[in-house]
Amino acid sequence: MPRPDPEIFEHATASTCRVADLLLDIGTVLLQSGAHCGRITRNLERIAETWGYEMELFITFTGLMVSIKNARHPDERVARFQRCPHHGVHFGIVTETSILTWQVAEKNIPISEVETRFAKIKTLPHHPRWAILLAVGLACGCLCILAGGNWLNGLVAFTAAFIGLAVRQEVLKLRFNPMIAVIAAAFTTTMIAGIDMTMQLGHSPEKTFATSVLYLIPGVPLINSTIDLIEGRFPTAIARAVFGSFILLCIAVGMSLAILLLGIQNF
Amino acid sequence: MLTYLSDIILAFIVAIGFAVLFQTPTRVLHVAGLLGGLGHCIRFSLLSHDIGIIPATLAGTVFIGLFGIVLSHKVHTPPVVFTMPACITMIPGLFAYRAMLGCLKITDLEHARTHPETVTVTAHYFVLTACLLFTLAIGICIGALLFRKRSSKSLFKRIF
Repeated sequence: MPRPDPEIFEHATASTCRVADLLLDIGTVLLQSGAHCGRITRNLERIAETWGYEMELFITFTGLMVSIKNARHPDERVARFQRCPHHGVHFGIVTETSILTWQVAEKNIPISEVETRFAKIKTLPHHPRWAILLAVGLACGCLCILAGGNWLNGLVAFTAAFIGLAVRQEVLKLRFNPMIAVIAAAFTTTMIAGIDMTMQLGHSPEKTFATSVLYLIPGVPLINSTIDLIEGRFPTAIARAVFGSFILLCIAVGMSLAILLLGIQNF
Repeated sequence: MLTYLSDIILAFIVAIGFAVLFQTPTRVLHVAGLLGGLGHCIRFSLLSHDIGIIPATLAGTVFIGLFGIVLSHKVHTPPVVFTMPACITMIPGLFAYRAMLGCLKITDLEHARTHPETVTVTAHYFVLTACLLFTLAIGICIGALLFRKRSSKSLFKRIF
């Protein structure tokens, strides 16, 4: 095998590669955690400018491409691509990354420290499971009362959302397709909300049906899609809109299955 | 007065619940709750003064978006972390449900023939849901719309 041209190696110096890898890592984690494109670009540009690099960024929903050029040595340039297969919302990571990049820009932290601190951010814990279940149950219960249900409707919505989210988490743990998890959760929630209707507990069971599945609503992808659209980043805007709409469709499928089982003439 | 108070408290809990689901850091959960409560209360008071649901929701979300930028500077957190859960309090769940149920009913041709108003009602709720969802999004990106290409942190440095 012929040896590669040594010049290629000399030009792409180790430090430029290191910066490109770090930027790509930060960008991918932000994309996964539910940041919109404008935020990702601003965060990365803050670091790149501080360290004297010119950056070009191409973001698609399923991957990210960073290309940087050393401003002082224009020959030093690196382009890297990384896939981003999973998407889950984690605003804690978004917050901490934003703080970190501001500190890089203001205090000029060395790259080794940024790398260790970002490695810590990536493993930031989630809220405890019981807290999420309780908070989501309470949120759906309160939404039900806000929509015009009474306390009994709210209580059923609380139970339905609580158990539905638990089902979704368990299905996801079994490594099924995330859309299957949404359908299963919507089905379970609607079946439990059906107790309200069949037993005539509260005065408006319709509100229970409507609000108990709201914890599944893909609010973050849909809103990020609009933000991207306004900022003119069409590849991600379209992908996020399709992703969000498909989750909505899955919710509708899960609910429809339950409604057909409960008897559509009752609705 | 009690209805206003209960509206704020319920929306406060809803916003905190969704903030926990979105993994918002614990130290800013109360900000999300506050914004959600106040925004929803604005919508509630406008609705009770016979203002349409779309302008009322727009007023609520724009308030959340702008006030969120102010608060984000105080707590050193990106605004989207609490404006997103706060806007979710106004999600049009009931209208979306009615639109979906209507679609399900139209699949039965016999029902659609005997109850032709189902088609109109379904179309109405579908459009209303889409409008309200878009309104929510506009509230959250009001910062991006008005102060394009600038982060909320540098925006504050310019104003003050």
